[in-house]
Amino acid sequence: MVKLSSWTKHSGKSRINDASGSVNDETATGSFPVIRKKPPRLVEGSRMARLLSSLLIAVLCASLGWGYVIQLNNSTSIYETMSEEELTRLIGETSTQAQSLQQRKTELSNQLNMLQEAANKQQEAQRIAKQNEQTSGLLSGRLPATGKGVVITIDRGSRQRVDASTMFQLLEELRNAGVEVMELNDVRIVTSTYIDDTKNGLICDGKNISAPYTLKAIGDPQNLQNAVTIAGGVGSRLKVKFGSEVTVTPDDNIEISKTRQPSQYKYAKTIE
Amino acid sequence: MAAVLGLIIGVIVGIFVKPDIPIVLQPYLPIMVVAALDALLGAARSYFERSFSDRVFIISFISNVLTATLLVLLGNQLGVGSQLQTAVIVVLGIRIFSNVSAIRRFIFKG
Repeated sequence: MVKLSSWTKHSGKSRINDASGSVNDETATGSFPVIRKKPPRLVEGSRMARLLSSLLIAVLCASLGWGYVIQLNNSTSIYETMSEEELTRLIGETSTQAQSLQQRKTELSNQLNMLQEAANKQQEAQRIAKQNEQTSGLLSGRLPATGKGVVITIDRGSRQRVDASTMFQLLEELRNAGVEVMELNDVRIVTSTYIDDTKNGLICDGKNISAPYTLKAIGDPQNLQNAVTIAGGVGSRLKVKFGSEVTVTPDDNIEISKTRQPSQYKYAKTIE
Repeated sequence: MAAVLGLIIGVIVGIFVKPDIPIVLQPYLPIMVVAALDALLGAARSYFERSFSDRVFIISFISNVLTATLLVLLGNQLGVGSQLQTAVIVVLGIRIFSNVSAIRRFIFKG
């Protein structure tokens, strides 16, 4: 009985304790930290020792702040703090990258060279084609021409009419002298031009022409003049045999506007 | 009080005085700072718990910094410096987070 009462007394006391504790303490969950009373100082230090520890705390915190700011302002290269392996790996990576970039550069510059070459080739081909077009155009009579040369006039022969073979000889002499473009009485002289006799004149490429003949020739004026007026040449033959007046006038600006359509080649093909 | 004062003084001194940290010490400075921060936050927590002891704080501060530095140094010597550095940072970061959450509870529970 005594024992029992002591039990109840004990439990009652503890309940009272619990009740007093639950007024401002909610430690039931156990997960929240308990605010304890400030424990009594274990070793009661002297005033000097407390000041010293405060000072030490201040110094430590100061060193923390100092270190933080220093690290914040630390702008030195990160490579200095890297280990040897990291640096080796980094150098390997970098050199591999540089190598691949170099390779890419070589490839691209090769491509560029090829493209430039191709462009140059095309340009060259275009230039040659244009030149050929001009040359063949002048040669075939497709293009009008201008330049310095001579104008040769042959009037009606006093003894007999100028015949086709002599006229053709004149053309051949001029060709030998390096004539480039010719026109005889409004007929463009090309490689296929023919001259034949008619009853009262000449026929040149299907067109009747009669004296006086006017032959415009573009070429070196001196050479052309020499070719006609050379002693024993076609000029003197015209004078002596046919009695016609031959005048050769050099001109710096001869214009030959007569053109003709080039014939379409039916059988001949170029060899590639 | 002394801690806050010390922090302010340290930051000001750090802004104006910029010494050249020796190269040997450079990799350890960030670890030291983080360890010290952890110690400081632990102290703050114990302050809120009313169990702050300046002696414990000083010893924990110094031992934190020294342990972190020595651990990284050991890692460097063993060739796992960067990994161990990461490990130390992670552990200290976890501790900082738990300290901060404890402090937060004290502040917002009143």
